[in-house]
Amino acid sequence: MNRESKRIITLFISLCAGFILLIGYLSYFQIFKAETIRENQYNKRLWIDEEEVLRGSIIDRDEEVLVYSQEKNGSIERVYKYDYLYSHIIGYSTREYGKSGLEKNFNSYLINANRNTAINEVINLINPVGVGNNLKLTIDTDLQRKSRELLRGKKGAIIAMDPKTGEILSMVSLPDYNVNSLIDNWAQISEDTNSPLINRGVQGLYTPGSTFKIVTALSSLELKDEESVFNCQGSIEIDGYIFKDFNSSGHGSIGLLEAFSKSCNTYFASLATHIGYDELKAMAESLYFNQRIPFDLDTSISRFPETQVGLTDLAASGIGQGRIGASPLNMLLITSAIANDGDMMKPYIVEKVISPQSNDVEIFTGEILTSIDDSIDLVRMQEMMREVVINGTGTNARIRNVQVAGKTGTAENASGKNHAWFVGYAPYDDPKVAVVVLLEEDGSSGGGAAAPIARDMMIYALNNIKFRR
Amino acid sequence: MFDILSVIFKYVFVIIIYVFIFTIIRMIYLDIKTIKTISGDLKAYLKVLNPLDTIPYKMEDTYVIEDNLTIGRGSDNLVVIRDPYVSKHHLKILLDEGNYFIEDLKSSNGTILNNSKLEDVSILKSGDIIKVGDIDLMFIHKG
Amino acid sequence: MGTNIGKIPIRLLFLFEILSLSLIFIYRWDNLDFNTFATGIGLVLLVYFSNSFLRKISSGDHYIFLIVSMMFSIGLIMIFRISSDLGIKQLLWLLIGIGVFFASYFLVKNIEFWDKMILVYLGTAYGLFAMTFILGARLRGAINWISIGGVSFQPAEVTKIALIFFLASYYYNIEKYSKNKYSEWIVMGIVYSYIGLLFLQRDLGTALIFFGIYTGLQYIYCNGRRYEIANLSLALLGGSLGYILFDHVKIRVLTWLNPWPYINDKGYQITQSLFAIAEGSYFGTGLGRGNPSFIPLSYNDFIFSSISEEMGVFTGIGVIMLFVLLVYRGFKIALLQNHKFYRIVAIGISLMFGLQAFIIIGGAIKVIPLTGLTLPFISYGGSSIVSSFLALGILQGASEKVVKEDETYE
Repeated sequence: MNRESKRIITLFISLCAGFILLIGYLSYFQIFKAETIRENQYNKRLWIDEEEVLRGSIIDRDEEVLVYSQEKNGSIERVYKYDYLYSHIIGYSTREYGKSGLEKNFNSYLINANRNTAINEVINLINPVGVGNNLKLTIDTDLQRKSRELLRGKKGAIIAMDPKTGEILSMVSLPDYNVNSLIDNWAQISEDTNSPLINRGVQGLYTPGSTFKIVTALSSLELKDEESVFNCQGSIEIDGYIFKDFNSSGHGSIGLLEAFSKSCNTYFASLATHIGYDELKAMAESLYFNQRIPFDLDTSISRFPETQVGLTDLAASGIGQGRIGASPLNMLLITSAIANDGDMMKPYIVEKVISPQSNDVEIFTGEILTSIDDSIDLVRMQEMMREVVINGTGTNARIRNVQVAGKTGTAENASGKNHAWFVGYAPYDDPKVAVVVLLEEDGSSGGGAAAPIARDMMIYALNNIKFRR
Repeated sequence: MFDILSVIFKYVFVIIIYVFIFTIIRMIYLDIKTIKTISGDLKAYLKVLNPLDTIPYKMEDTYVIEDNLTIGRGSDNLVVIRDPYVSKHHLKILLDEGNYFIEDLKSSNGTILNNSKLEDVSILKSGDIIKVGDIDLMFIHKG
Repeated sequence: MGTNIGKIPIRLLFLFEILSLSLIFIYRWDNLDFNTFATGIGLVLLVYFSNSFLRKISSGDHYIFLIVSMMFSIGLIMIFRISSDLGIKQLLWLLIGIGVFFASYFLVKNIEFWDKMILVYLGTAYGLFAMTFILGARLRGAINWISIGGVSFQPAEVTKIALIFFLASYYYNIEKYSKNKYSEWIVMGIVYSYIGLLFLQRDLGTALIFFGIYTGLQYIYCNGRRYEIANLSLALLGGSLGYILFDHVKIRVLTWLNPWPYINDKGYQITQSLFAIAEGSYFGTGLGRGNPSFIPLSYNDFIFSSISEEMGVFTGIGVIMLFVLLVYRGFKIALLQNHKFYRIVAIGISLMFGLQAFIIIGGAIKVIPLTGLTLPFISYGGSSIVSSFLALGILQGASEKVVKEDETYE
């Protein structure tokens, strides 16, 4: 074969290679990227799908309707029963500004779009769907209202959860916004420097402060290497940096239980350096730091430093300062895990999806997300948390006739005004509700400001909610 | 009604298009196969051993022999070798009673058959090498 | 063998046409008009008669026209579904195009002096460019259209063919020309002058095709690595300069890499194209059930995306395979052709079809930046259809061409 023919064939093969590349990319695109691209909110085709279907309703734990769609003057109108109360949970669904919350994440259920397989498609044709599915939530509206009331005037979040099942009983984030006048006020809402659109409970990351001592304590219990006798003198120097307690005269000679209950910084700073970066990080990550928590709403990933830090930073991490960012949901899950004897339940808000014909399309039940290592003495952990409320920094969370366990946190942060934290659960013997309260940049202490709110939450929940077991 | 038809047809269309494509591919493939075998009765042929791009004039790589075939410089030959050392009608191969014979047509520079000069007529066996001028041809006879 | 299998493709084509046309009839049930009937019947008759006629009169390749028939059928049906007005116009263009096909086929087959007109080709190309600059109107950013008496066409489409003939004449007579040791540089200069003019006209797609054809032919026929290296270096240099100097080049590259931030303005076209393809899934939404009208130029530059939306990624891949087959046949025709000039012409034309299809499909699916090219035989557009058929006719002629041998050695 002469040179010319050879080259002709080579040229042809290169051209073929180009076409094969195109075919390959088309296949790759269809298999891996098409779904995501289709869901882009600028895709007008999605709107057409939606216009043909009456969007489903959402009801609460007691089957009260929270939002529904109705036809009005030829177009479909979405009616939200509460202006502010569910703005972060249910969210909104608009053409102009997209969707948020459950309206976004459960969109395909609400418009009943399952056309993925050929069979479904043909079925849809023969029996066209005009109405979407409904969602039933685990949220108790009265508790939700109470939560919002308790948080009034502040910035922050409250979440209440059943530690044994993972059901979210209430979730409030302030500031919030009026979902019924969203479109009219969009500019003002979206440009508000206080970010009312963000769900602080699941998307905000805050320095956890002393609430992180739970993690440090667990780590120490795992290593079975705590200092039973430590002399707290009110401050300690680690690698050039001085860590102080609130009470700078020092707690004197204390062990783990007392140090935890009184939230002694010097004890825990020192403890962290004994535990070491790797172990502390491993414990944090086993409790869902640096991992995405699977949830019905979009969550942020809590941060624990991923690469080795120096001794000072390590000590700071031990007391929940330094470069740690925790979401209130994450701290709540850790608390619930302890309440639930080690099993961290997967949190969820949507209890079930119901078809327009009132059949259960899908039911979501409790599943274990992760378990704390068996070898750790969780009873001691529970006792420590109980001690916080009986004798320690969390006495404002005491409830008459019910034993409460918890932990306070007062987190220093860049703004200069402390975050006030409280995580806790009750009753101690048979936990029914776990709560996290976060007051953003409140300037007050966890014990002083957050604990009383948590107490009122727990009282209300225990008195009013029918727990399903 | 339209929707149902459209949904059903879309699967039909893809099938039609692909059958179309593959039929054409198959047709082309069959065409090529035919060209390669040239005609049904492929029994004997000459294969040019010299690499084609070393030959300064145009030649095929294969020449089918039906009942007979002549080789020479003139264009009335089946195998044309435009080499001045090749005579106008240099040699002839013919089929007689199932065997192929080679005959030198009184060429000026002669023909070499398997390293010895060809005198007049000789019988050809499959694998024999015929040298004409600078060209080496292998005779191949199947069955 | 032979006759039986040979009838299958054409029958499949008819089946496809009839089914899809009936579907569109039903789709347009509420406003059936003359256009619908005319286009439907017209397409079937056109395919039948042109294929039979060709078979009768040509002893050359009969695959390329068959492949092209499937292509333009898919295209016409899609265009017709988008707009019945454009549908009937496209049918008219197809009619004219096929006429041009037969005309060019005859001319190539029967006229012998095509290889002796190198200066004519040179002149024609420059002449067409001059015409565009003088008479041209800017359309969507590119000055590459001329309007004469209400009909607009793109001269660049014809210039492509002039380029191929020019290069074929040059390389056919390369021994004669290579006596002058600057001849290769001169040719390179001429080709780059065309590319430069195209850049000025903002017709980047055609510039890319010119470059591709020249590089391909140079690779096969040029003796001397340094020319090829020079060519590639110039291209690299030119490309980079183009990116730095010309904003519109920069925009194309940026929206290629990440169109999502510009989804409402510069990235609008490509993102709409991607939405359409994603919507189509494997088998499409079904003819008439998608929304190709959401894509800008759905009947033209983005016809591939419209097809992928309503007929699926599988059909899209099918279209790509049809182009591979077409290019393959073209190259095969070249290999079988004894006469060097027609060989080069065949390669050039196949290369042209292949590159054009690759560039526009690649742009629509975001494998390469977007350029304003049409998909041969499938996109709507008079100039595109007519020039594609012109080239196809030449290819058909080249498949049969037997030049009377004189006693010259090659």
